[in-house]
Amino acid sequence: MKPMIKMVDINKEFKILKRREGIKGSIQDLFSRDYQTLKAVNDVTAEIMPGEMVGYLGPNGAGKSTTIKMMTGVLEPTSGEILVNGRIPYENRTRNAQDIGVVFGQRSQLWWALPVIESFRILKEIYRISDKDFKDNLEYYDALVGASELYQKPVRQMSLGQRTLCDILAAFLHNPGVVFMDEPTIGLDVSMKSKIRELVGTLNKERGTTIILTTHDMGDVDALCKRIIIIDKGKMIYDNDIEHLRSFFGAYRTIRIQFDRHAENLEKDVLKQQVLEVEAWVKGKFPQAKSISVSVEENWIQILINEEEVHMMEVVNCIQDNRPIADMNLQEISTESVIRKIYEGGVV
Amino acid sequence: MKKDKRGLGYYAHIYKMILFQDLKSKMSYRADFIISTIGMLFTNVAGFISFWILFQNFPEIKGWNYYEILLLYGFSLLAMTPVQCFFDNNWNLMEALYTGNFIKYCFRPINLFFYFISEVFDIKGVGQFIFGIITVIYSWNKLGILLTFRNIAGFFIGVVSASLFMIAIMNFAAAASFWMSGGTSQLMILMFKFKDYARYPIKIFNKVFQIIFTFIIPIGFMAYYPSLYVIRPKEVSILGYLTPVYGIIFVYLSYRVWMKGARQYSGTGS
Amino acid sequence: MSNESKNGTSVKRYLAVLRGSIMEALSFRASTMLRILGNLVYLLIIYFLWKAIFDSSPTDTVNGMTFYDTMIYLVLAAAMFNFMDTFVVWHVGDDYQTGQIVLYLTKPIGYQPFLFFSRVGNCLISFFVTFLPTFIIVYFVTEGSIAFGINLLFFVISILLAMGVNFCIDFFVGTICFYTQSIWGVNIMKEVVVSLLSGATIPLAFFPETFRKIVDFLPFQAIYHMPLHILTDKTMQLSDYVTSLGIQLFWMVVMLGISKLFWKISVRQLTVNGG
Repeated sequence: MKPMIKMVDINKEFKILKRREGIKGSIQDLFSRDYQTLKAVNDVTAEIMPGEMVGYLGPNGAGKSTTIKMMTGVLEPTSGEILVNGRIPYENRTRNAQDIGVVFGQRSQLWWALPVIESFRILKEIYRISDKDFKDNLEYYDALVGASELYQKPVRQMSLGQRTLCDILAAFLHNPGVVFMDEPTIGLDVSMKSKIRELVGTLNKERGTTIILTTHDMGDVDALCKRIIIIDKGKMIYDNDIEHLRSFFGAYRTIRIQFDRHAENLEKDVLKQQVLEVEAWVKGKFPQAKSISVSVEENWIQILINEEEVHMMEVVNCIQDNRPIADMNLQEISTESVIRKIYEGGVV
Repeated sequence: MKKDKRGLGYYAHIYKMILFQDLKSKMSYRADFIISTIGMLFTNVAGFISFWILFQNFPEIKGWNYYEILLLYGFSLLAMTPVQCFFDNNWNLMEALYTGNFIKYCFRPINLFFYFISEVFDIKGVGQFIFGIITVIYSWNKLGILLTFRNIAGFFIGVVSASLFMIAIMNFAAAASFWMSGGTSQLMILMFKFKDYARYPIKIFNKVFQIIFTFIIPIGFMAYYPSLYVIRPKEVSILGYLTPVYGIIFVYLSYRVWMKGARQYSGTGS
Repeated sequence: MSNESKNGTSVKRYLAVLRGSIMEALSFRASTMLRILGNLVYLLIIYFLWKAIFDSSPTDTVNGMTFYDTMIYLVLAAAMFNFMDTFVVWHVGDDYQTGQIVLYLTKPIGYQPFLFFSRVGNCLISFFVTFLPTFIIVYFVTEGSIAFGINLLFFVISILLAMGVNFCIDFFVGTICFYTQSIWGVNIMKEVVVSLLSGATIPLAFFPETFRKIVDFLPFQAIYHMPLHILTDKTMQLSDYVTSLGIQLFWMVVMLGISKLFWKISVRQLTVNGG
């Protein structure tokens, strides 16, 4: 099988304007300007097969959107080879666009003032979707999420969740081979998030559409992606199964504790103070355990440890000695923590 | 691959669809529509009053009488209509770039400029068009210009050519936002004002500026030269007869620059 | 909102806003250059147009104004327009439509003064970048047509009052956008009315008698006509200056009152109906 997307040693450089600070700097900027070259993408190589769903991760400014722009034909790489659907995307942007779909979590691509169904009809003409495909897709959407209830509503009157839903449906309307999604669940509430995830997962499975998912929400990744690619400072630092990544951290455990029975009533500052205290106790007691990190999540104090450095029970005892623990549980390392570890230390 | 050519018919069809839907949805925002139309009417009435006040004090300007200048004014209003109606989204380009929303236009399998421009149809231009028609008919009558085929065709071609220049100049101004951060609103306003200056006979300027406004900033072509076909046929120069050709070239150039800018912009930032 | 007067830091806060807006204005170098270029082109056209007009006239003086007088008047009106037009209508209307206005209402700083100070930075920049150079050039080019004396002081006071009247009118019109859904339409109406009736496009001296009488009863002449009249009319006595400034002050107070009242009513409606 031929890959849907193939990138070999892709590079992209930008010239960036340096702005000076303060009033004086602004005046200087009036007369002279400095440019500097920035390497946004550095030797990225990857192959993505048809039907795959890949999580594409990285901190802000890592080069994610630049890579996406190159895959969508908006941007030409400075060097390297890129093929999407067997075509060089930037050579004929519009031809490439016919076979891809794009979804932005916060920027609706539908016509703001028009009822969704009218937007769909315009898209039908733009993409030259056959009557049959169009009808089939609408029926399919209706069966999938009851979309017809939304069809008469203008986008501008929709909630963010409804808008995102419609944008996703619109992106699949012309049966593209690959769909790029940029933070599709951003800003949504928990139930809407899971609804969107379910929809994306189903579309991926039933349509066999390749999906590249850019996100900061590890919930999306956990729910949808088997494989992840991580990019940082323009370099690809990881490309493999998510499970494989977790096994790197096989010896890691997350201990979650609470000191108060009713921790949900605690002020944020109190919790933060507790985190600092716990950190001081365990780091003081186990200086050899370099991987220990303490954080807070939903009223729980989380202590991430590497059992090769220090045993879990030792840590628990140490904390217990300082202050009685009210409640405690134990977890494998979460994807969230794995990714954070990678950004922080470049473990792989 | 065979069916790949997206021709004029295809774009006309899509534009029609968007326009029709857009009009339908505009009807649901009637207050905005009515107030904007009144606002447009205000501008035109005020322009007319200014003329009137001036001519209360001065019977003629450089040999051009009141009705001749009024016809030129009406002519420029008509020539403004296409840029006002169909190319108004250029005014939103700067903000689309600033907020990063512009990127969303880059992923459709259609021409980027068309896609962006087709999004807005500004119905306010219609009011201006009607006011222009009235002004033209009134002054045409007063001047006693014959209703011959030559005059009407000349007038029509003149209006179209002038409107091409107006479209081109607004495209250029908007396209500048692809390269400059900020400042383009000033540029757009400047260019927008040119249209207002264009409604005076270019003869009022001295030789140097006549040349500048003919060859460097083509203000003269935005109303004066093409209007001479009917107002003062004897004064039409070879340059005047070539206006339609220049207009087409200018629009094409502005389109190329716009596209080049779009291409370059979508390359930078996120 | 009322406790802003209690702590002395409010002045500091306004100054911070002012500083920010100055820097913002400076950072757009292209904008600055274009503004200057735009003014130059505008001036050229004004110059030639009126030169042509006066050339076509049998007498040197029309309605008591010579070509130089008219030029000074119109050129400076254009330059004034540049630093007075601060898109206040757009800001108010936009803040309303996007719902931002509610955020401002929770800030410990009044919306009207906040807007004033955040726009006034732009004003100051344009004053120094466009108005002052224009003024100096006009002064020398017209070879002493502008009297150099106490009238300049009155002129400066008059400009400040004009700014106040202009801002209040803009703010009032901006508040109208609460009710109309339309910023563009409302703003263009305002601009057309102000620039015609304030004498910014054609000096009021050229207006026909009856038309002029109506304009005298409206606040718009306080924006462009009065400061420019003070500057160009050499026959004015001290009492004339005082009367002129008095009328401006009157309109400023009236417009401030009206705009504040209208704003209060509109905001109350907003909070009752929950925009």
